[in-house]
Amino acid sequence: MRRRRHPWRILAIPIFAVIGILYAFPLYWLLATSLKSKAELYQATLTLYPQAPTLQPYVSVLVERGFWVLLRNSVVVCTLSVVIALILGLLITYPITRLEISPRVRVGILNWALSLRFLPPIAVVVPYFAVVRTLGLYDQPQALILIYSLLNLPFTIWMLKGFLSEIPRELEEAAFTDGAGRWTAFRLVLLPLAWPGLFAAAVIVFTFTWSEFLFALILTSTPNAQTFPVGVQGLVTQFEVIWNDMAAAGTIALALPLVLMVLARRYVIAGLTFGVVREK
Amino acid sequence: MANVTVRPAPLARAGAGRFTRQERLAYKMLAPVLGAILVVVTYPFLLALLQSLQDAAGHEFVGLRNYVNALVNPLLYEALAATGIYASLVLPTEILLGLGFALLVHRTVRNSAWRALLFVMATIPLVLPPIAVGVIARLIYAPGYGVLNHLLIVTGVIRDEINWLGQPATAMPAVASVDIWQWTPFVYLVLFSGLLTVPREEIEAAQVDGASGWDQFWHIELNYLRPLLLLIVFFRLADVLRVFDHVFVLTGGGPGNTTQLLSLYLYRIEFKYFDSGQAAALAVMVLVGVSIAYSLVTRLLPVERR
Repeated sequence: MRRRRHPWRILAIPIFAVIGILYAFPLYWLLATSLKSKAELYQATLTLYPQAPTLQPYVSVLVERGFWVLLRNSVVVCTLSVVIALILGLLITYPITRLEISPRVRVGILNWALSLRFLPPIAVVVPYFAVVRTLGLYDQPQALILIYSLLNLPFTIWMLKGFLSEIPRELEEAAFTDGAGRWTAFRLVLLPLAWPGLFAAAVIVFTFTWSEFLFALILTSTPNAQTFPVGVQGLVTQFEVIWNDMAAAGTIALALPLVLMVLARRYVIAGLTFGVVREK
Repeated sequence: MANVTVRPAPLARAGAGRFTRQERLAYKMLAPVLGAILVVVTYPFLLALLQSLQDAAGHEFVGLRNYVNALVNPLLYEALAATGIYASLVLPTEILLGLGFALLVHRTVRNSAWRALLFVMATIPLVLPPIAVGVIARLIYAPGYGVLNHLLIVTGVIRDEINWLGQPATAMPAVASVDIWQWTPFVYLVLFSGLLTVPREEIEAAQVDGASGWDQFWHIELNYLRPLLLLIVFFRLADVLRVFDHVFVLTGGGPGNTTQLLSLYLYRIEFKYFDSGQAAALAVMVLVGVSIAYSLVTRLLPVERR
């Protein structure tokens, strides 16, 4: 048995090393570029690390280009979308996991939610563009908030359903026999137990919303509602690309989900694999 | 609502109505939310349907002319071909690499702390904004500042710069590589979790019988992975239709129309050519096509049906 595993072991180390480089280097290159001065970019030879690291590109992006406004829009839009998606998600998953309900209704709702996940956004955004304009919500954060809560609802439903159905019903029933009403039992028994699941869902939905680009590109046009990814894209497609500014903007866009994921890893991992592995 | 009221045990059936108390409460909670969602989901679809039957100004009905225009446009078939090429580059690569890595980790990394660490790291690419990943790819492939050319020249592999994003032969692989970078970890995560469900006794019994590592995979592990592989193919195929962001910032669909995937094509029809009738017709066709494909394939998926 030992001999058989051997060839895998020898292969493993160089493979891990190559994969490590393939993932670490691009991220390093983004960060390194974002710390270079403009003078360094125009040197004849490419430098593999910033010779005189500077935060100037970040100042340039956030202050001089005014991207802090987009950052603020992103945070506001994401936070409100997460809150709405979670409330709607709970209103749907509470009845289907905690109440005696016909299994056909339950499965029907879950499958419907799953099917919404497969609609290609570009085909959805064309009709929504028309609706948003008719309602006068074009270039308004409200439009993005409503649409993002909706777009993330299928995922939220599946994730909350996974977490809620793991909490034994007996706990609430014990509260009922002690005379608690549904709302009290929900607030005092279920919610504290469901909290890690809600938190995981919140983090994941936040990162998804943070990353969303297509709807933001189409439904906004000014810093009044534009989100950060739209700003990043503006730096990429402009006529002359300023590499360090673009890299700084990219780093900011990337940093938030990265930090959130690392901080919330314990909760989030259970969530990301839900509905894929557990359902088997 | 903090006051505590005494209620009968929730499981008791209320004899009179057709529904139990619980069912009534459930529907009271579900109906407004689902109703609102239904309106918000279907109304734009109906509007698109209407738009697809009108001229661009929205003044008169033109029958199926938008659909005919959409279908006779040769660019549509270029976009479909590009989407197909993209899928055929991305899917097999991601599945083979993800599967290989899952097997490798499962067989060589025994320490659970290391396994957990790899698992956490693999989740990271999944939450990175595709726009930011596109920026990174731009910093790597772009002419002038692109570090890939620099490294290849320094190591002597090539002598002149290659315009990775500017020529048809390399633009598509470059765009696909970004997808592979970001999504192979997803395949790994799903398949590695799948490998953890393989009962140890089965593997040990096979090893006692002298099964090789390959036998072990082909005759035992693959049986447990098959439903997950199906799921991955399904999800990733659907995702190919969603791909937009990183292609948009890397090539914008070019050079020519080589990397103009279906999503970018639809964007161009609506927001560059302002042909909202044709765009609506395309959107309707895509939505109907995806829904049909979904209802056909969904029966095969290993999700809960109880």
